[in-house]
Parts: sequence; C-alpha cells; structure tokens
Amino acid sequence: MSAEALPKLQTEGALPLSQQPSAKWFMISSVVFFVITGLVGVVLSLKFIWPEFMGTAPWLTFGRMRPLHVNGILFGWLLAADIGLIFYVVPRLCGNRLWSEKLGIATLILFNLTVLAAVYTTLAGNTQGLEYAELPFLLDIGVTLAWVMFGVNVFMTIATRKHQKIYVSLWYIMGGILWTAFVYITGNFATMFTSGIGQANLNWFYVHNAVGLIFTPLGIGLAYYFIPVVSNRPLYSHKLSMIGFWSIAFIYVWTGAHHMIHGPISQWLQTISILFSLMLIIPVWTVIVNFYGTVWGHWDRVKQNPILKYLMAGTTFYLLTCFQGPMHSLRSVNAIVSKTDWIVGHAHMAVLGAFSFFAIAGTYWALPKMLDKPLHSKTLANRSFWLMLWGGLIYFVSLWVGGFMQGLQWHDVGIPWVDTVIFMEPFWVARILGGVLIFAGIIVFLYNVVRTLGRPDEDAESDTTAATPAVS
Amino acid sequence: MLKPLFKTLDRNAFALFCGALLFFLIGGVLTTVLPGMTEDSWSEPVAGLTELNEQQMRGREIYKREGCWYCHTQQVRTLVADTKRFGWRGVDAPISTPGEYVHDRPHFLGTRRIGPDLARVGGKYDKSWHRTHFRNPRDLVPGSIMPPYPWLLDENGGQEFEDLTAYIQTLGRAVDWRPDDDYEE
Ligand code: HEC
Repeated sequence: MSAEALPKLQTEGALPLSQQPSAKWFMISSVVFFVITGLVGVVLSLKFIWPEFMGTAPWLTFGRMRPLHVNGILFGWLLAADIGLIFYVVPRLCGNRLWSEKLGIATLILFNLTVLAAVYTTLAGNTQGLEYAELPFLLDIGVTLAWVMFGVNVFMTIATRKHQKIYVSLWYIMGGILWTAFVYITGNFATMFTSGIGQANLNWFYVHNAVGLIFTPLGIGLAYYFIPVVSNRPLYSHKLSMIGFWSIAFIYVWTGAHHMIHGPISQWLQTISILFSLMLIIPVWTVIVNFYGTVWGHWDRVKQNPILKYLMAGTTFYLLTCFQGPMHSLRSVNAIVSKTDWIVGHAHMAVLGAFSFFAIAGTYWALPKMLDKPLHSKTLANRSFWLMLWGGLIYFVSLWVGGFMQGLQWHDVGIPWVDTVIFMEPFWVARILGGVLIFAGIIVFLYNVVRTLGRPDEDAESDTTAATPAVS
Repeated sequence: MLKPLFKTLDRNAFALFCGALLFFLIGGVLTTVLPGMTEDSWSEPVAGLTELNEQQMRGREIYKREGCWYCHTQQVRTLVADTKRFGWRGVDAPISTPGEYVHDRPHFLGTRRIGPDLARVGGKYDKSWHRTHFRNPRDLVPGSIMPPYPWLLDENGGQEFEDLTAYIQTLGRAVDWRPDDDYEE
C-alpha cells in the first residue's frame, strides 16, 4: 500500500494564516457552549436519582432540559467546533486563504444568534416535537442559511485552491457539507408535510444521518488531517481512504429505519436498514486501519502528546461505536437493547468519545497555531484527556450494563415496570460520577483554552526569537 | 478501468461533488421518497380512528411541550414482551399498526422508555388517578422517577391537566381492544 504524504505547506503552516477570525471565534464560541450544555447534562443525570431536583419550575424539568442538552451539544458545541476547524483546515489543504473572512464572521454571528435563541425556545417548551428537530421553524431557517453561507465559503476556497490534488479530508468535508444540507432540510422541513409513520420515517432518516452524514464525515475529515499532521507521519493508505469515502457515501443513508425495528413500519424497510447497517463495517474499518496504520510503530508519540491521545482514543471509540451500531440493528439484539439506556451509552460514545474527542484535539492544535502562541499547558491538556476518558468509560459502561439488564427484565413480564426503574439506580449513580468527571475535563479544556488566548505576547516573541537563528 | 475515474475524482472537485451527491441520493430516494409513494398503509386510518377534538388537541400540544415523549414511547412492537407488558387486567395489548398514527403530527413513537409505553394507556386509569399522579408520581408509584407537574393542576384552574388527561385517555382507543369495554373515565 502506498503511503501518502501531506503536501509540505500544509503541515508547516507556512502561510500567513495567523489572522483567521472566523475559525478562531467559531472555536471559542463552541467551547463556551460545550461547558454550558455539558453542565445541563450533569443536571439531567441528577434528575434520575432525585426526580424533583431543580424541577420546581416548568423550564427546568426533564422534558425541557433534555433537548437543550442534546441540541446544545450537537449544534452549539460540536457542529460549531467542526465549522471552526474546517475554516482552519481547508485553506491549509488548498494552499490559499479562506475565500471570505467577512462571510465567515457573518456566518458566526447568524449561527450563534440562532443557537442562543434556541436555548430560549427550548426551555420555553417551544418545540416541533421531533428528535434533533426541536428548533422552531424560524430557527431552522437560521441554521440552514448559516449552513449555506458556510458551504459557499468552503466550496469557493476549494474552487480557488493552489494545490490541484484534493486531499481526503476535503472529500469528506465537501461530502459532509452537501449531505448535511439535504439531511437537515429533510429532517426539519420535509417532515412538516407528513404525519404518522411517513413522518417518523423521515425523522429517523434525519436523526440517523445527522450522526452518520454530518458529524461522521466532518469528524473523519478532520481526523484525516490532524492524525498525520500531529503525529508527523504520512497517511497510511490512499486506496483505503478512497474505499472508505465512497462506501460511506453510498451505504450510510439507507439505515434510518433501523431505529424502528419491530415497530410499526414496513418489514422491507427494516430489513434493508439491517443489511446496510451491517455493511457499514466496510467504511468504518477502512478508516480505522488507515488511522491506526498512520501511527503504527510510533506509539511513543501518542504517549507524549495529549492531542494524539485524543485522536487515537477517538479512533478507538469510533471503531467500538460503529461495531455496536450494526449489532443493535440485528433483530434479536435490538429486542433487548432498543429503548434502554444501552443506546444512550452508545450515543455518548459516538458524540463524546469519537467526534468530540476529534474536535477537542483539533482545537488544542489549531488555536495556538492561529494565535501564534504555544498552548498554555500540556499537563492540563493531558489532565483533561484522562478526566474525559475515565469519565466517558464509566458513563458508557454503566449504561451498557444497566441498560442491557433492564432490557432483559422487560422481557420478564412478571417484573413490574417501576422495579426495573429502581433496578437502574446504582447504574445511574455511576453515570453521575462519569458525567461529573467528563464535565471536569471540559472545564480543564476551557481553562486551558482561555489561558492560551490570554497568554501575553512576550511568550510568542521569545518563541520567535528562539526560532529565528534556525531560520537564518 | 476504475483507475482513471478515481484519478479524476482526486483532482476534480466538481466531479467529486456530483459523485457524492449521486451516491447519497440513490439510498435517500429509495428509503424516503419511494416508500412515501408505495406504502399505502401509512396513510390509511384504522377503522376506529377519529381526529382529536379541540381539547384533546390542546392536550397533545402539552404532551409535546413538556417532552413526555422523551420518556414514553407510543408503540407496541411485534414482541411478546410488549404485548404482555403493556396490556392490562389480563388482556394483551394489540400490536401497533401504521394506520393508528395517520393523524399524528408530530408523531410520538419515541426512542427511550424511561417510563412505560403509553400507546394503550387510554382508559387504564381514571382522572383522579392522573390528578394524583401528575401532582406527585411517587404518591402512587414509589420509586418512580417521573417529574411532578403541579403547575398543570394549579394554574388556570387546572385547565391544562384537563386537556392533557383528555388526550391521554384517547391513546389506543381507536383499536377498541377491551373485550369488556372496561375503560376508565
Ligand atoms: C423523566 C421521565 C418521564 C417524563 C418526562 C414523564 N414520565 Fe410519565 N412515567 C415515567 C415513569 C418512570 C413512569 C412509571 C412509574 C409511574 O407510574 O410513575 C411513568 C408513568 C406514567 C404513566 C402511567 C403509565 C402506566 O401504564 O402505568 C402515565 C400515564 C405517564 N407517565 C404520563 C406522562 C405524561 C403525560 C408526561 C408528560 C407530562 C410524562 N409522563 C412525563 C417517566 C416519565
């Protein structure tokens, strides 16, 4: 297999790119939302043990805060972080600058105003009542517009690129932007014209592909950039990248109905969704082999570098979560795990363990580069990693074990429902612990980012003076 | 034969764009647009299905607003565990069919069962049970983690409670599955 090196320019950041307000501010705003909506997640986890906790006002009840946590993490944090990182990565891969910083800033303002408004509407109970599509119509328009503006900026940057060859990351980013547009419109607008099972089918198409064709390609595209750059290793195989990309483009979109297995939806749709879910192993494993292959034999670099740790842990969680997914779609397994907390553990491994880890790694790498200052503290970066890793593992495993056992109990119809709820208590306590550790990791991440931003310029100067002799 | 094609895709952003779109659209259209046209059962209401009246509709909006659907599904799946568990007084719950959902907008099929399925709960309890339950679920079911909803009862003379309960009592009634017609009011 042929190893592919990233063109020199990209890895060295030799372009005068330190002034990139759009990328920078998207990253900063995303970290702020990560903290806020992460805290909401912790509050929610407490409600499972103390159902009255903070529940004296309607806007603080479970039914209002859950969508705030989910949408806040997905859009306020992860999507915004991905946008910022894409603004950072794309010009470097194209050998030019972002097509329009002005448009980028306009996108930033529109996107963040929309997310802020969504915090209000969600807590006020103003919702469309569909998972991931809770935002009211007007805000859906805001998101769509921001996405089009973002897409135009990225596509124009690519269209005016200096390097002819399009690196893998760019395939995923272009595909991701394009698919997101279709998936988002289906989930938020097309659903308005349907009802009942037809609407549910579109809803699940959207929910599933929001992860599979939005966060997956954007996250994988970014990891395809950061893993070789941070480890300073050529990408393992170009051929594998190609198989991975084109197979995910074809396969992912068929699988939405696996959210309704055994449910009131046509059997052929269920069967198709199962077949294609199993086929997902192909794009996933090609990516995994490619990522591991890139750092293979150089694990010492992972040991020394917290950013690489995030990237490789993210890769491992991606492998695991995408192994679980196809297994859940099997009818026999689905009958046990579906509708339980197992799935919640699975979803957190995807969004936190895989894609948030990629985004955190990217932010830790890119922010200092853009500011032309070193990261405030490598030790703290390591701490945030271990907090999130252990917190995440406690979170995932407690919900898998508890959820699976609760699923088995549901099949024993002699056990009253509430007893299966009471059974979950120790697992929910463990989940609180996991959640608190993850949140602590997020706080350390925020602190590190803020200190890096606030770092006096002397440091940067001393760095440049140190570097000068080597250059001259 | 494939090699030149992939070479092009490596260099031509527009070709890549079109390819990615085409691949996506094949599966997208076949799993969303096509079934929308072929699956007649999705739009044929079951015999007993009536549209909700104004009060029940208001109740449904409260169900949506309060996010009851994050904790409760509304679907009896093709599993014995579902039909047995969500039946009551010895009668199994009938399996849900697409025709029951025709008027549901948004649908409340749900994904997570923190509480039990509600597709057949209409008439299982009377109004006074619901009143106590919404005020504090743990008064009736120790160990429950359902939130209390006192404001539904206390504000506007309990109008919202009336509306919500009116809606809850419609659930599953379209299939009229109780042999002894023992629905509670
Ligand atoms: C945090 C999750 C949660 C939320 C939100 C929630 N519930 Fe529940 N619900 C439960 C649990 C757990 C039970 C089982 C224990 C009990 O009966 O209280 C339950 C039971 C019920 C029951 C009795 C079902 C039966 O067959 O015995 C009804 C009816 C009900 N909920 C309606 C609602 C409505 C209406 C709302 C919204 C206003 C709501 N629930 C919100 C968790 C929740």
